[in-house]
Amino acid sequence: MDLEVVTRNAGFMLGGLYLTCQLAALAIAGGLAWGTILAVARLSRQCWLSLPAVAYIHFFRGLPLILVIFWLYFLTPVITGQKLNEFAAAALSFVVYEAAYFAEIVRAGIQSVPKGQTMAGLAAGLTAFQLMRHVILPQAVRNMRPSIVTHAVVIFQDTSLAYVIGLREFLRRVNLVDAREARSVELYLFAGLVYFCLCAAGTMAGRYLEYRRFQGEAH
Amino acid sequence: MLDYSFDWSVLWRHPYGAMLIDGIFTTLKLSLAAWIIALGLGLLVGTLRVQPVRWLRIFGSAYVQIFRNTPLLLHLFFWYFAAPLLLPKTLQQELYDKVPNFAFWASVVGLGAYTASRVGEQVHSGFRAVPKGQYLAAYASGLTTIQAYRHVVLPYALRIVVPSLTTEFLTCFKNSALAMTIGVMEITHTAYYIDSFTWRGLETTTAASLAYLSICGLIIAIMTLVEKRARIPGLSGRRR
Amino acid sequence: MIDIRHLSLWYGRSHRVLSDINATIVRWRRVVICGASGSGKSSLLRCINGLERFQEGTVHVNGANIQDPKVDIHRVRAGIGMVFQHFELYPHMTVLENICLSPIYVLKKKRTEAEKKAETLLTQVGLLEKRNSYPAMLSGGQQQRVAIARALAMDPEVMLFDEPTSALDPEMIQEVLDVMIDLARAGMTMVVVTHEMGFARQVADEIIYMDQGRIIEKNDVAQFFDHPQNERTRQFLDRIIR
Repeated sequence: MDLEVVTRNAGFMLGGLYLTCQLAALAIAGGLAWGTILAVARLSRQCWLSLPAVAYIHFFRGLPLILVIFWLYFLTPVITGQKLNEFAAAALSFVVYEAAYFAEIVRAGIQSVPKGQTMAGLAAGLTAFQLMRHVILPQAVRNMRPSIVTHAVVIFQDTSLAYVIGLREFLRRVNLVDAREARSVELYLFAGLVYFCLCAAGTMAGRYLEYRRFQGEAH
Repeated sequence: MLDYSFDWSVLWRHPYGAMLIDGIFTTLKLSLAAWIIALGLGLLVGTLRVQPVRWLRIFGSAYVQIFRNTPLLLHLFFWYFAAPLLLPKTLQQELYDKVPNFAFWASVVGLGAYTASRVGEQVHSGFRAVPKGQYLAAYASGLTTIQAYRHVVLPYALRIVVPSLTTEFLTCFKNSALAMTIGVMEITHTAYYIDSFTWRGLETTTAASLAYLSICGLIIAIMTLVEKRARIPGLSGRRR
Repeated sequence: MIDIRHLSLWYGRSHRVLSDINATIVRWRRVVICGASGSGKSSLLRCINGLERFQEGTVHVNGANIQDPKVDIHRVRAGIGMVFQHFELYPHMTVLENICLSPIYVLKKKRTEAEKKAETLLTQVGLLEKRNSYPAMLSGGQQQRVAIARALAMDPEVMLFDEPTSALDPEMIQEVLDVMIDLARAGMTMVVVTHEMGFARQVADEIIYMDQGRIIEKNDVAQFFDHPQNERTRQFLDRIIR
């Protein structure tokens, strides 16, 4: 067991976390925003809104993320004529892909709001948009927070997939060090420890926030 | 807009057509092998989490937590790069010489162990969903713990859990694509590989996407039928 | 036959469920246990066949101490039949399979033998034609009668009933009570937790009234109803028999 390898290269490897976190943050924010729009479209009574939304969601949920990353990497130059840099390609793929998953989470959240709320809002003269914005979504968000936190942790781990287009995020850096030093056991255990601590901390932070908000609401 | 000439014949031209078919089979073999491990190990983990002995429960929970907080890619790297180093030198040599598809088997083990943690969670919640009264009735008539689980609890819990197990299999199936990072020639890798010869990445990845979508669709259709047959009459309602 | 001495059961540090229970159930006696909700009646029943682990006291079934690790608790349970408030039929098995499960795997009977006995019992409770139905297709009263048949299939020496009619709609209560009355007439030793005082009056030999985990009064049927000795028993009877 040669821990020296880890300490010597820790700076380089942990530097990758910066990219990892950036990518994750973009993916979560973008995915959630686009996913919410998709969810609202899916629940709409207008066929021209709901059918494409359903198709989109089922399409991306049926594919591996890694394939979507490649596909977009090949597709964007054809459509726009330019080649994307690695980070942009990865970020775009993540937003496009994770939106499909967030859409289902948001949909479940919206559907968990009692029907009576919709009736009360409409009876008071709110338009559908106002209803969604002021009555339904705030309540839905409260219900979905745990699922969103769980999925955010998943996205954080999924960033490791940007490996395939060469993005030098954390795991790829560990892999590079391993190629040079060949002390795989120590290096991958280190990587596992880092991911474990960060994800567990994220989950616990999420739970703590739930607890705090719940305490507040009880009064 | 599209300054690109599509060449779909790359999909059936020799040798690419055969490679794509091989890729599909590799994906299927990988997913199924990993799934078998995941089911067996997952059942064990889920059962551990409901044992009266505290240490067994902790062991089960620890297993789930470890896999929940680490990426699958890391596990694949671990099993491919790091795990052989843990074996004594002689066995390592054996491994590299005798086992032809080491990357494939490393993926099977990694994907299987990872999916097992998710299956374990589903099994665990399945057990908790079985009403306590069922356990009482089974024990009251003299059945041992093992008999009670085998005849009453497991059939009940598994039927509740079948829908989420379907989702887990689909996830496992999609996750098989990650094996490409350690060189396994499954569908996604094949698509990428063909592109490096033909520059027809768009066509191949489209074909790969269609392959995944149709197989997923097929599995969903089959499982819907299976669920219909396995459904316990009267179980969808609330307990009176 | 069943000998309970100084039985006490509690959860955590403060929640006492049973305190110093002493009772003896003699063969061929019918004992009814009554009392308000939370009085510990169901817990007492579950202590008798070891489904509930109690902290103090002893329970002996035919001389065997059920908490002695050398005693085969599965053997003991095979000799005690139990019927639950919510029937607890196994929903994924047909009526026939429900009844045959334990005879086949605990008593090691052959399937044909178990099925024949099951059909006899189903005829006894009047449900032979339902033998291939699933529990969800039966009414509450029918399910409970099947549950009774399932318990009887083990040829028990004593039957424990935990509020067998409390979960039933009023019009189905009598069909279940009728089965229990027939059972009593045939000489089965029974311990019944129930609110049905009419049934108690008709069938019981002895009544135990419990409140907050203690036995308040234990008496022969006639004495219990006509000359209650304890003030709380009197109040209980006044409320019930109205």
